[in-house]
Amino acid sequence: MVLMSSDLTAHADDAELAARIAAAADREAETELFRRMAPRIRLFGLRRLRNEDAAADLVQQTMITVLKALREGKLREPARIASFVLGACRMSVLEIHRGGRRRERLLEQFARDTEAWQMPAPPVLDHHRLTRCVQRLKERERAVVVMTFYDEQTGGDVARFLGVSETNVRVIRHRAIHHLRICMGAAA
Amino acid sequence: MSCATPVDSARLTDYWLALVPEAEEHAVEEHLFSCGECAARLGEVAAIAAGIRRLAQEGSLRMVVSEAFVRRATEEGLQVRQYALPAGGSVECTVTASDDLLIARLAADLQGAKRVDLCICDGAGAEQVRLADIPVHSGAGGVLYQESITYAKAAPSNRMIARLVAVEEGAAERLLGEYTFNHTRTLPGPGAFPEPPLAES
Repeated sequence: MVLMSSDLTAHADDAELAARIAAAADREAETELFRRMAPRIRLFGLRRLRNEDAAADLVQQTMITVLKALREGKLREPARIASFVLGACRMSVLEIHRGGRRRERLLEQFARDTEAWQMPAPPVLDHHRLTRCVQRLKERERAVVVMTFYDEQTGGDVARFLGVSETNVRVIRHRAIHHLRICMGAAA
Repeated sequence: MSCATPVDSARLTDYWLALVPEAEEHAVEEHLFSCGECAARLGEVAAIAAGIRRLAQEGSLRMVVSEAFVRRATEEGLQVRQYALPAGGSVECTVTASDDLLIARLAADLQGAKRVDLCICDGAGAEQVRLADIPVHSGAGGVLYQESITYAKAAPSNRMIARLVAVEEGAAERLLGEYTFNHTRTLPGPGAFPEPPLAES
């Protein structure tokens, strides 16, 4: 079997992609690295910033920083690319909080590159199926997940509402998530 | 490529909820950035969390809720229609197109009740659905029950009876309160019940 260039890129590990970008600003490797890292950065951003638009900004800003550093040969050990992206992510969050001008300058400088990046679509749940799955949970499990993810109550608040310990709330929550993942068709 | 050291779902959920210590959080993040498989599983947890938020906002879940739930919905600008009933009480009720959530405040003395079930009955008192072992605590003075707004909006004029019962040893039941809802349909259209909500599996 003959592997095409794009197949080789898809099969390359993260360190190989980083090395190719550092060596020759390889556009195909850059696109593949973006495809892999964008969902991870998005989740990192969603968890901290609780906003899809802000998370999308974080993806763009972080990847610009990473690619700029790779092209300039600033990452000495390509094997550490994941840690490097994570570090850039943390710095970008601070930058977003500060609303810094550096971000705007980078966006202008890398405008042509960012046009080519397509944000991978996040997983889409079958909403009707989720409705059925949530309704099938035990009453306490349903209450715990709704209180956790909608009411945004602390473990202590949920524990008081249910009249159980916080440890017990954690157990109920994990059991509920497990049931939901299985019901939604995920591998256990 | 399969992950040799997968982060389990419980830990991923704790991470998503910022419930892991800082040192552990850094370790989880290092792993997630180097492992697409575990990152994808975190994505599933995040998608479920977002889906549950959407379900709560739609008011389509038939369940017992907290005061914090009602407060949150109100803060979000949702229109919450509420009816408060004492034990043994009845109320004339309806639901309009602009209502987002439908809440019944069922007052009851829950002292000493270890397990409480909420039975939803038809107008003749025949049990249709049972919400078993609902979350209550004895000092609460009652239960907040959310009826599915989708169901209520499709319902014709009818009577519904709710019963709170304490389930005691040997499966004996003690009535804590009965509540009658005389629903008048005010929305246009003939009104017809959709598929009944799922009973407990």
